[in-house]
Amino acid sequence: MDFESTDRTERIIGSEQDREFERELKEAMVRRPAPPGLKRRILQKRSARRTERHHTTMIWWQRLAASLVAGAVLAGGFGWRQMEERRKGEEAKQQLLTALRITNQVLNNMNRKLVEHDRSDDTK
Amino acid sequence: MAHRWQPEFEQLVDEHQSMVFSLAWRMTGDRGLAEEVAQDVFLELDRHMERIESPEHALNWLRRVTMSRSADALRRRRVRGVDLWVEIEDKHGAPAEERQSPLETRLEQLLSTLPEAQRAALVLRYQEDMTPEEIAATVEAPVATVKSNLHRGLKLLRAKATTHLKEYIRGL
Repeated sequence: MDFESTDRTERIIGSEQDREFERELKEAMVRRPAPPGLKRRILQKRSARRTERHHTTMIWWQRLAASLVAGAVLAGGFGWRQMEERRKGEEAKQQLLTALRITNQVLNNMNRKLVEHDRSDDTK
Repeated sequence: MAHRWQPEFEQLVDEHQSMVFSLAWRMTGDRGLAEEVAQDVFLELDRHMERIESPEHALNWLRRVTMSRSADALRRRRVRGVDLWVEIEDKHGAPAEERQSPLETRLEQLLSTLPEAQRAALVLRYQEDMTPEEIAATVEAPVATVKSNLHRGLKLLRAKATTHLKEYIRGL
């Protein structure tokens, strides 16, 4: 009986000591004030980072613009080359047709002359 | 139509810089490192401002990111092979006006010798007055683990305090 009572008393004292310890711990762990100038340094870094980000964004835009211009120049050059080749092809085709037309005309003339020649031989 | 909360960055820094710095300091045990962590945390907040929905959200976000960044900073320090606890308070001790009572400083030093998870649970419990459920959400751990860390951490800290503070009082 005495043992049980002593045990309970010790437990009560123990839990009170726990509570006391927790209270001391809580008092010891109040928030510390931030170092002077912390906010200023944060705002400075934030501003520097924003400037840097803006600068990086500008560089990316410049790169994009340069890429677009280069792309447009290349596409233009390619298109011009294709048009030029088509034009030359068309020109060669016209020249060939003219040559064929002339040849055809010459052959027709020769044929007519031969026919006339044959006819004059027959009349003799 | 619900009014959307629009936080002011500078106001959030004003309100929470002490909390963020204290958490970082107690977790890293290094004043300089804690200041670096606090700066990183607020700069990250700046990048996430659009996603912050309420003052409570801002507070919880800051607590969670501070704990995570402090753990990262400690890991980086460990990789570099720096023994933090040897230098605590000697190199980066608080200026005289910020100093606590010697007993409180001693308790904090003992706290810094606890394993990281136990220290995190105790710091959030006793500095931020958070419940085990809130701590669990902040450190992304099961509630049972947090309760166990709190119990073990408190027991270990008390045992250390009993030994060290007796020596300290004897030395006064």
